[in-house]
Amino acid sequence: MMWLTWRQFRPQAIAAAAVLAVLAAVLLVSGLSLAHLYTTTGIPACHAHHDCESLASGFLMHARSGSYDRLHGIAAAIVLLAPAVIGMFWGAPLITREIETGTFRLAWNQSVSRYRWIGVKLGLIGLASMAAAAVASLMVTWWAAPINRAVVLAGSASPTTVNRFTPAAFAASGIVPVGYAAFAFALGVTAGVLVRRTVPAMAVTLAAFAAVQLAWPNWIRPHLIAPVHAVLALGKVSLGGFGDGPGNSLFLAVGSKGDGWILSSHAANAAGQVISRVPGGCSTQTGGPGAFLACLARNGVRAAVTYQPGSRYWTFQWYETAIFLVLAAVLATFCYWRVSRRALA
Amino acid sequence: MIWLTWRQFRAQTIVTAAFLAVLAVALLVTGLNLAHLYNASGLATCHGSSCGTFASNFISEVKGGLSEKVFYAGIYIVYAAPAIIGMFWGAPLIAREIEAGTFRLAWNQSVSRSRWVVVKLGLIGLAAMVTAELLALLTSWWASPVYQAASAARSDSLSIARIAPPLFGAQGVAPIGYAAFAFTLGVTAGLLIRRTIPAMAVTLAGFALVQIAWPNWVRPHLMSPVRESAPFSIGRLDEVMIGNGNQMIVGDTASKPGAWILTNQAVKPDGQPFTGPPTHACLSQGMQACNASIARLHLRQVIAYQPASRFWSFQLYETAIFLVLAVALAAFCAWWIRHRRLT
Repeated sequence: MMWLTWRQFRPQAIAAAAVLAVLAAVLLVSGLSLAHLYTTTGIPACHAHHDCESLASGFLMHARSGSYDRLHGIAAAIVLLAPAVIGMFWGAPLITREIETGTFRLAWNQSVSRYRWIGVKLGLIGLASMAAAAVASLMVTWWAAPINRAVVLAGSASPTTVNRFTPAAFAASGIVPVGYAAFAFALGVTAGVLVRRTVPAMAVTLAAFAAVQLAWPNWIRPHLIAPVHAVLALGKVSLGGFGDGPGNSLFLAVGSKGDGWILSSHAANAAGQVISRVPGGCSTQTGGPGAFLACLARNGVRAAVTYQPGSRYWTFQWYETAIFLVLAAVLATFCYWRVSRRALA
Repeated sequence: MIWLTWRQFRAQTIVTAAFLAVLAVALLVTGLNLAHLYNASGLATCHGSSCGTFASNFISEVKGGLSEKVFYAGIYIVYAAPAIIGMFWGAPLIAREIEAGTFRLAWNQSVSRSRWVVVKLGLIGLAAMVTAELLALLTSWWASPVYQAASAARSDSLSIARIAPPLFGAQGVAPIGYAAFAFTLGVTAGLLIRRTIPAMAVTLAGFALVQIAWPNWVRPHLMSPVRESAPFSIGRLDEVMIGNGNQMIVGDTASKPGAWILTNQAVKPDGQPFTGPPTHACLSQGMQACNASIARLHLRQVIAYQPASRFWSFQLYETAIFLVLAVALAAFCAWWIRHRRLT
């Protein structure tokens, strides 16, 4: 049964290994040069010279322009898409191809029980899915490590509001891709068992997984742990934008909070209540942005921000991975039960 | 034959139409909210210099909110649509017939091979192009307040370059070209590989490669970029980086709102790129002394860019190129079916 599973899975395994090898080669060359840039910038010794903020933000500025940013985008996109592709091309056809061509009958007429047949298939290829996602994610995480360290060091001087906790990067690094891959694979098999035809099952897998990936970071992940609310003085926060609108309305947004994930922000008084009007006398039209900000601070305006601190990054990674692994196990159990107890065709 | 094509394609049409309807409703609801935000920001009625402030506020308000997510989701959908069309409409078109042997039945009717393939390619190719363009129109309509605000903001940091990569391919008429190309790529893969799932995988990989390579290595050279050289300005300095090994990198912002900046370099008076050595003041003194010492280097800023005014020329070029590629692939498929055995 192990041999049969491997033999049926061989082309997919070779294709995945080839993609991973190419990705590894490109990321290795570029990653070494990025690490070299990090060292030559002088960041490792910056604590002694007290210039961490400026060196790190200079490094980030440099890494953001040119081929590093492009490669990071492409590599992250590959890690993000890998689970969907695994679910479609490994998960969905696993049972449907056997149903469409009737080959499951041959397998079941050998000395292999239904339980063993579906168990080995789900287990081995599920493991392969998780391994492929883990390797891809590990490579991108290693590549981006200097950037993540620089974001922490740059603090409020950071030229970018994106870090490893913001949704697109969060899902493409660390260990969560393993959970996604297991879930997408089990979802594909489930769609196949229920729809029984390969191409529609692949479409259902893609649509369902895309919907989960769209809904999760927007509506579920922010609430896995209750976010932190903070009211901060304007001088102690990195602002993403501020100004006055028509009818003296005040607008203020926080750009970054260390390496944390900002969920929302607004102008507030010391008690955290929303301030929506520009205090009397302050206006960007008269003194320019700097004077406007100073005037706001004099009038007791502060920035209220709701965020998940950067220190929770790994807690969120473990939570989310665990949740998706449990979902995958539930789907796999359903497939196992359904295939072993019900007629396939 | 038209009836047969429709009958075989009905399920896909219904799914696509349902998706378009749901998307249209979602975009309409969030679009009205965005339009309300736009009116409340004062942009619709502002005059003169206040427009810039209102526009900056509006864009900062859009960033970080639900609207930003919808904005990017719209772009993703327009980019993903051609790939999905190629995989689910293109690849199985002939491969399914080969796998199931159903093409034999069709060819034994009064339908010629040429008619069979031309009607299939033509009707479903047309549907592919219409779907992609509808998606692009819907999402561009939704995003139009953001683009208007970006052009009113007149600030480098807020400028949104519609001609630069992430946005360019999701607007205008280019998605028509991509959809036609992805569809015929899928049909060709199915015809040559003869098996549906491997053909779908090849279509996805092939189209993804083209979409990665094209904006990075081909599109910038469709028209030769504008090159400009200006004295280096300390007022627009936005990057000073000092490294070990006597390195120093300085950079000015390229003040070309809406343009696609290809390269932006500080060069020495002799024309070589400036990479160091760092000035004494930058190593040991404060920021002002450092800036003054950079000014004494008499650097020039050299940029190469595609100006925003070339947006439609690029759109038409790119659409034409992909349509030609699609026609070539379709012609190849028709020739192959006429002259070669399918099994």
